[in-house]
Amino acid sequence: MSSIVDPIKEGLARGWKVLGGKHGPLPTSLDCDVVIVGSGAGAGITAELLAKAGLKIAIVEEGPLKSSSDFRQLEADAYAQLYQEGGGRKTADQAMPVLQGRCVGGSTTVNWAGAFRTPEETLNYWVDIYGLKECGAEAMKPWFEQVEARLNISEWLTDPNANNSVLRRGALKLGIKAPTIHRNVKGCWNLGSCGLGCPTNAKQSMLVTTIPTALDLGATLMVQTRADKLELKGNQISGLLCQPVHADGSHAGPAFRITAKHYVVAGGAINSPALMMRSGLPNPNDLLGRRTFLHPTVASSAVMPEPVQGWAGAPLAVFSDHFLRTQPIDGAIGYKLETAPVHPGFAMTNLGGMGRTLVDKAKTFPHTSILIGLLRDGFHPEAGGGVVELKSDGSPVLDYPINGYLLDGARRAHLSMVEIQFAAGAKSVRPAHEQAQDYQSWHQAREAILALPYEPYITTIGSAHVMGGCAMAATPAQGVVQPDGQHWQVANLSVHDGSVFPTSIGANPQLTVYAQAARMATGLAKRLTERDVRLDSPAVPASAASAA
Amino acid sequence: MKRRSLLKLGIASGVVLAVAGGSLALLKPGLLADGKLSPAARQLMRAVALAVFDGLLPAEAAAREARLAAHLDQLDANIAGFPPHLRGELSQLLSLLTSSGGRLALTGLTSDWAAASVADVQASLQAMSLSSLGLNQQIYHALRDLSSLVFFSNAASWQLVGYPGPREIP
Ligand SMILES: Cc1cc2nc3c(=O)[nH]c(=O)nc-3n(C[C@H](O)[C@H](O)[C@H](O)COP(=O)(O)OP(=O)(O)OC[C@H]3O[C@@H](n4cnc5c(N)ncnc54)[C@H](O)[C@@H]3O)c2cc1C
Repeated sequence: MSSIVDPIKEGLARGWKVLGGKHGPLPTSLDCDVVIVGSGAGAGITAELLAKAGLKIAIVEEGPLKSSSDFRQLEADAYAQLYQEGGGRKTADQAMPVLQGRCVGGSTTVNWAGAFRTPEETLNYWVDIYGLKECGAEAMKPWFEQVEARLNISEWLTDPNANNSVLRRGALKLGIKAPTIHRNVKGCWNLGSCGLGCPTNAKQSMLVTTIPTALDLGATLMVQTRADKLELKGNQISGLLCQPVHADGSHAGPAFRITAKHYVVAGGAINSPALMMRSGLPNPNDLLGRRTFLHPTVASSAVMPEPVQGWAGAPLAVFSDHFLRTQPIDGAIGYKLETAPVHPGFAMTNLGGMGRTLVDKAKTFPHTSILIGLLRDGFHPEAGGGVVELKSDGSPVLDYPINGYLLDGARRAHLSMVEIQFAAGAKSVRPAHEQAQDYQSWHQAREAILALPYEPYITTIGSAHVMGGCAMAATPAQGVVQPDGQHWQVANLSVHDGSVFPTSIGANPQLTVYAQAARMATGLAKRLTERDVRLDSPAVPASAASAA
Repeated sequence: MKRRSLLKLGIASGVVLAVAGGSLALLKPGLLADGKLSPAARQLMRAVALAVFDGLLPAEAAAREARLAAHLDQLDANIAGFPPHLRGELSQLLSLLTSSGGRLALTGLTSDWAAASVADVQASLQAMSLSSLGLNQQIYHALRDLSSLVFFSNAASWQLVGYPGPREIP
């Protein structure tokens, strides 16, 4: 038996209202003040704030409720149980795997716990181009502070693991800054298993923070329940049709209907626009599901003289924004440099190859370091993102073409990472590209990378940062939702998740989702109840709550 | 824009079957009703495993067969967790690849999967991985990535890569 106390088991024992899956039958219908679709970053923050305002809320989550006693740090369990499409989600042409969570807590349950405020140049761009004056750096500061306090976000003071040390050492050698990351953790064991679900509840994901708070305040959580269709009557949503699903997403019982005063969609980019598309919501400017961004991510592996054991220790501890900050935001594409966890399934698959190549990689695996470069898409006409489409069964797929502009960034990011890896003392380096070899020197690698063909598929690209598709903007011509998250054409519908970003952000998105959701949900609580709520203050007394 | 060919197997299968002179109705689904690999698809995935993990599988025949069997069972378990639409696409793909016409047209392999040598399957996968046709690339990644994720996620492979497994939590 593990010594770790499971907060979910405790909550269930306290009488949380959790239905669906093994938690008991779903209702045939349900009425509440606000229904929230999803339980990830945007949904969790929204749930806590609205519950604190005394509203009767229902949370609808397609994935299962798993928690620390289920998280065994096993890749074989995690991808299949906690990720969208059993970990198999890819863009339409299959050229990019897309990692997204599908469980209570959403992607926050499986993310790598790096927390960045939205870069100022991104916020400035949103103000300038999308008229989002409420998103200026000064205006956003209190929201970041509030979320950071709630989720224990602060600088990571433990020594970086050996993988992150490669990035720091190499960057410093080249005169490039590689500062320490902020993380949302409390009593972190430095296990390195963030992507497989945190078995010690150290990661302050929505699973262990806001969702439990909302449940303690009486919210109803329906798991293994897919929000299928919003019913539109005039310019109002009149109901949400929900479909109980099995673990694999297939139907598990009859559909049922939830009615509410207000509907918040927070299913994450890709799934949120898909729900709205399935529902046939007005889309007069053809913006819904368009401009979906991925931070297309490329990788380079290096064999280091020292053991790296990149599976152990916080996967993200240092980063470099040098190649974002030293060039214009709307010029050639910039990229953020970070590290990736080196677990066998994830790394051996994503680094490519077979036979002899895999044998060599297996032998040097404990000495393998992986750097990643995240391309900042969305700021240039040639980085217009992807388009969400519906398959015949109503499930979404993202069509995201990889063009020459992005591939130029992939090549430059490979060059930067390889140079850093050699500066850190790498014995050999291999960018993740089907035609790359092991290179023994920076000179050799540079020549080779400049000569390699950069094309989709043979250039290994993936994503764990899906953003956009329901952009917020100051005018309906530019956005699906208003700056406060309210849909431009539908009266009682808001979107509170990463899909509201009008561009990618050039930083890992969770803190931006949290802060935007906090801003939007606080405003929504005020509009619906006249109450002022905060993440860092206690809930209104139960006696006052029923007045809403 | 040849690279934008998306994995619409309905169309692809039409092309392949025109080549093969067959009809889709005659093809057996790649996944059985219970979602498991059909016997033919199991042969295919076995051949892929032999090629991709060449040099990483036990040398001794009985141990190798046992490892392969465990790998194929794990593949079944993994596929069972996929959403129905993904399983449907995979079933179609496997169905095509296990028909002789489809196999020849899509992979260039002349002998069937059970009989093909490791070198032949490797050459075929290699050619698909560098193909300028999106469809070939998609097939390569579907076969290779799925196999690899399942193989290396399995504790039986950890010693090959020097991974000690998760840290114990007292
Ligand atoms: C492996 C990985 C690592 C990451 N690492 C970091 C990191 O270190 N730092 C960082 O800042 N960001 C990281 N991210 C990204 C970050 O976690 C996400 O950007 C963020 O969680 C997105 O928030 P969201 O609210 O938009 O969606 P999500 O958090 O993804 O939540 C959406 C939820 O809605 C549910 N849902 C969707 N559709 C429906 C429906 N129709 N009905 C019911 N439920 C539905 C989904 O199942 C999911 O649980 C990572 C992501 C992944 C996958």
